[in-house]
Amino acid sequence: MTAPPIAHLGHWYHSLLYLAPVVIVVIVLWFQERRERRREDVEDD
Amino acid sequence: MRRALLAAAGLAVGTALALPATALAHGLVGKQDLPIPRWLFAWAAAVVLVVSFVALATLWPRPRLERVHERPVLRVPAVLEVLCGAIGIAVFVATVWAGFAGSETATANLAPTMVYVVFWVAIPFATLLVGDLFAAFNPWRAIARGTAWVFARAGGGTPAPLAYPTWLGRWPAAFGILAFAWVELVYVNRDDPSTLAILALLYAATQLVGMSLYGIEQWTRNADAFSVYFRLFSMLSPLHWRERTLYVRPPLAGAPRLDPVPGTVAMLCVMIGTVSFDGLSQGALWTGSGAIAPDLQQRFINVGFSAETALEIAFTIGLLFMVGLVAGVYRLGIVGMRSVGRGHDVTELSRRFVHSLIPIALAYVIAHYFSLLVYQGQAMAYLVSDPLGDGSNIFGTATATIDYNVIGANGVWYVQVFALILGHASGLTLAHDRALVVYARVREATRSQYWMLAVMVGFTSLGLWLLSAAAQ
Repeated sequence: MTAPPIAHLGHWYHSLLYLAPVVIVVIVLWFQERRERRREDVEDD
Repeated sequence: MRRALLAAAGLAVGTALALPATALAHGLVGKQDLPIPRWLFAWAAAVVLVVSFVALATLWPRPRLERVHERPVLRVPAVLEVLCGAIGIAVFVATVWAGFAGSETATANLAPTMVYVVFWVAIPFATLLVGDLFAAFNPWRAIARGTAWVFARAGGGTPAPLAYPTWLGRWPAAFGILAFAWVELVYVNRDDPSTLAILALLYAATQLVGMSLYGIEQWTRNADAFSVYFRLFSMLSPLHWRERTLYVRPPLAGAPRLDPVPGTVAMLCVMIGTVSFDGLSQGALWTGSGAIAPDLQQRFINVGFSAETALEIAFTIGLLFMVGLVAGVYRLGIVGMRSVGRGHDVTELSRRFVHSLIPIALAYVIAHYFSLLVYQGQAMAYLVSDPLGDGSNIFGTATATIDYNVIGANGVWYVQVFALILGHASGLTLAHDRALVVYARVREATRSQYWMLAVMVGFTSLGLWLLSAAAQ
């Protein structure tokens, strides 16, 4: 029987530390993009 | 019980054959002693890329790399071209001869080191410095050109080549590199010298047939996998060879000249994805206890495959998955970019920005294979004197050894991190420069590159994670 992924948490949790900057950058850029799009819409109006 | 034991034994043998510790394994030598945890380098790399992005957005308002003047600095005589071609043929013949006639031990035979270290790794490094080196030494191109010259001198000439199909583009090159990567990373007999010699002859024969049908230059530019592979890297070099003349240009300035014919995106995704899989396959996530590869292998054994075949299938899945992952991340960035401005579709944007992947592909090659080149590259000193591994000493260097202290594990890690950051910052620069041409307004161009920044941070983190996993 295959062990559930949580059983090997100690092996891969540190991998999330490599994913974290990607997630942070994507979230910040997403908010920035939304803000700029709104500003452009206001300027166009 | 007996079946279970046999299956376990088969699994162990197959794993031992094909998992780590092959003759030319790419892993680091020695233990790293870094001042900060490895994951912090990924955070620092992300910060560097964000700062680079802001600097580009504020200090780079006009395209600077799209139309660059190349300055001629040197013209070489035709005889040098002939000499380089002859050297290329001689090295090819020596490699094939060693593969067939030499020792079956991979580390004692010239062929595996020549193919996997000198040809596959050293040429990209050299190409970055001196331009498209392989074009001058390409053995099958030299044979084809020599044959065409003889026919022309004999007065017969050669029939006009067929028109190369536009839709085919660089697809043959993409499949060629994928096939080579499969042999290098998946095939269990990858280090067998005679197998390598057979494959080299098959590849050369295929190229000669292709060149005879579609013309030497047309075939070489599009379908010869290694010519395309090395030529892509040469576009980053400040030196450019064209018609026996050496031109100087700013670094990266050759990349915007890439003609994005069909298959170019696939070619670059294959280049990055296959090296990524090489990194993944050395880490505990893929090969450790309870990891993906043994689990996948067991599933294929359960449906009746031998341990060896099951392992090859598992590795093939991993290889294709990584190529698909790279293609998917790039596609995501392009789809996001399309949401900015109007009148651009995904295919057009995908092709117009594909040159920004070239420095990433080279950064991955440098980061993953630097240690292999530095350590295993030294083996050439004794292999050129004893190419067959039979005790000969042609140049008096057969007793040379590999100095593993030439660079420490920390030094290797810093080179890898530096290469990855510089490669991705270069990719960001190329994409920003192209965006200024594609988009009408600077603000739109900058906004479109938010997506490319996310892609670059993603690729950098992936690269560092793979290297870190392999170093553990």
